[in-house]
Amino acid sequence: MPFPSRHSWPPGSRRTATRAMAGVAAVAAVSMLAACGSSGSSSASSPGSSKSAAPAASGGATLEAGASCKSSSATKITFWAWVPGMGRAVTEFNKTHPNICVTQEDVGAGDPEYVKISDALKAGSGAPDVAEVEFDELPSFEVTHNVVNLVPYGADKYKSDFVPWAWKEVSQGSAVYAMPGDSGPMAFYYNSALLAKYHIAPPTTWAQFATAAAALKKADPSAYITNFSATDLQWVMSLMAQDNAWPFAYNGGSKVTINWTGPAQMKFAAYWQKLLNAHEVNGTTDVSATSFADMDKGIDASWLSSAWGPSYFAPDAKSSVGDWRAAALPQWTTGADVAANWGGSTYPVFSQSAHKAAAAEFSEWLNGTTASWNITKTAPSSLFPTYLPLLNDPSYKNTTVAVSGSSHPDQAFTAAASNIQGVPWPPFMTEALTESATVFAGVLDGKETLASAFQNFQNVLVTYAKQQGFTVST
Amino acid sequence: MAGWRAPDLPQPGARQPRTPAPPEQESTIVNGTATTAQRRPLPTRSLLVQSAWARRRDRKGFWFVAPFLAFFLVLMLAPLIYAIYTSLYTTRIIGGTTFTGAANYTQTLQSGEFWSGVIRVIIFAAIQIPVMLAIAFFFATMFDLGVAKYGTLFRTIFFIPFAVPAVVGAVMWSFLLEPQFGPFVHLAHALGFANTDFFSSNLILPSIIVIVIWEWTGYNMVILYTALKSVPRDVVEAAILDDTPLWKIIVKVKLPMVRPAIVLLVFINTIGALQLFTEPQILSYFETQAISVNFTPTLYIYNTAIAGGQTQLAAAAAVILGLVIVVISVGSLFLRRRRGEI
Repeated sequence: MPFPSRHSWPPGSRRTATRAMAGVAAVAAVSMLAACGSSGSSSASSPGSSKSAAPAASGGATLEAGASCKSSSATKITFWAWVPGMGRAVTEFNKTHPNICVTQEDVGAGDPEYVKISDALKAGSGAPDVAEVEFDELPSFEVTHNVVNLVPYGADKYKSDFVPWAWKEVSQGSAVYAMPGDSGPMAFYYNSALLAKYHIAPPTTWAQFATAAAALKKADPSAYITNFSATDLQWVMSLMAQDNAWPFAYNGGSKVTINWTGPAQMKFAAYWQKLLNAHEVNGTTDVSATSFADMDKGIDASWLSSAWGPSYFAPDAKSSVGDWRAAALPQWTTGADVAANWGGSTYPVFSQSAHKAAAAEFSEWLNGTTASWNITKTAPSSLFPTYLPLLNDPSYKNTTVAVSGSSHPDQAFTAAASNIQGVPWPPFMTEALTESATVFAGVLDGKETLASAFQNFQNVLVTYAKQQGFTVST
Repeated sequence: MAGWRAPDLPQPGARQPRTPAPPEQESTIVNGTATTAQRRPLPTRSLLVQSAWARRRDRKGFWFVAPFLAFFLVLMLAPLIYAIYTSLYTTRIIGGTTFTGAANYTQTLQSGEFWSGVIRVIIFAAIQIPVMLAIAFFFATMFDLGVAKYGTLFRTIFFIPFAVPAVVGAVMWSFLLEPQFGPFVHLAHALGFANTDFFSSNLILPSIIVIVIWEWTGYNMVILYTALKSVPRDVVEAAILDDTPLWKIIVKVKLPMVRPAIVLLVFINTIGALQLFTEPQILSYFETQAISVNFTPTLYIYNTAIAGGQTQLAAAAAVILGLVIVVISVGSLFLRRRRGEI
């Protein structure tokens, strides 16, 4: 305390979790307690070990392997990523590409990595050639012209191999600024035994969802239909996207639209506020030991989760193992089929790179080949693809995991993958995520409404964007 | 330990004792003000009339302080000048870097976020410092009186929390207070306080106060113990011969004599409180929504620079915080000089 401490723990992120498939260092610190003693499932999409591997995210693991690195004439590429087990793909690449030697470094998950990249870019040297950058963070590097357009390096020919929304989010006009990697299509992930016990059918519309919430509360006052984590901005924004209430418009450049207070946004806020007021939804931090315990104990009947969610929950599931099913997200319009994405990463090449062609070749191989996905889809990486050949693979869809019994949760998640609308992320998500923790904190303990938090957030972001020189419309 | 605390306090010449062992106690108690006031100008005058030999000796002395000076220039002065320089510019995502003069300063001075953090740490200091000093003085007295068996052993044990790096201490306490598995929550539950959440917005500041008290009581105790040890024996013996009760010896004889040490500790701890960073920052990794981005002034500076990328605005806020600390330090200096404590 008092006296200045020059050492800081993994610096950076205040966000609750980094939404890429694996490596949630901050959460893992707590969750590991729960994970202790529970053995991870060995099934393909249930990486129990991903959690225990996560703390490495704060370290500085360096991996250099594979045949090409033994040759001194090979082009040296530096690659930053935090997904556990990614080194296996790097080794495979080096083995099959004798002229390129990729070295992977783990400099932290999410924000810590972005801060280091930004600093290196400002300093003029030290940035990696390729790095893992989440979808929401990519525009922040585009606006400063720090990522390379990959079209001259042949990225376009991969376009048809990816789900359209993912390709849209890495593109700006005709330029492609990164290869899309993993993603997190969302589904209604629910405890089937708990809902069946009270004869509640899994809701298919949000109206039914609200009715089910009230019915469950009546049947079991200690239970909630789900957890609403207001401080998890990325999650809230994903649900807003599904409700056609996306609060931003951005097409690159200096103009940005920020709209947290429009009719669609207020309608979204009012829907959830009603459930919060009636104590029909729980209000704890998500992807946390507490929320997983609530799910396992039958306090939360569902989780509006993404494809990577089940594997995060699996190590904490004990009494509810086998009961969890995945279905499409409830719809705002009956009969519609709108999904949302929560998390996932892209792999841009940085303009500082001295070997852009080789770097682009690596990024394209890593994300656009079956050879790579066959490695990264397995534990401990367990990435959920944006890569169509794998998404459409029946054996991938029909994977079973212990926590979901004999059901096939990935059927719902892969179906969702093609029902997502790409969203325009603003080029200042680090600031937005940091501020959101403060702005939305009062919603969880009932000290402010979601609508007033939206209003405050609008003011914070508009002020920031104007300070940063953007032309802001609201 | 002493070296890294030096920048916090402007040193009025080298005469200020690092640990406030009171070498001139008698005069201080009797009539400190007069004596020190008369003595003060002397060193300056003697510098003017120093001999050539003395000057040569000073040049030799320079080489002894050179290593310190080098580090001071490179690691203290240069960053400070750079921070002031950079605080006059603003880099925008759109538009690049421009000279903006005092704009970052006016923005910080008008920023409710910055000042709410300052107010929070002042509240923190107002509670934490008196409680900690009371505990520290109590144990220092116990050890000084020798009523405790194995005094040296226990003094060491009390000092250990200070030797634990603040980060490690904060992580440990975060686990202890953690709302899901933390033993303290279960303890509170057993005592009848159901649903205690030490990370909630109401309890987070008290939690941090407890952590900081745990970390720093031992350090403060050692300083007070040293001060108590240097209370002249004859004064205490005289009191004993006069049949003064023990509590009176402690409160009326010893406490006034270690007052300079207490005053010094109050100011050191106040400056430390203004720089409160590690504990709330670590706690914020444990899903504590109660730690806002501007929870303390240093957290505001950190988050403005790191998350917002507004390094120049952060530099201006840092300079302002530095000035606040300088004002407190200089103020304390004047106060203590007027009272004749230095």
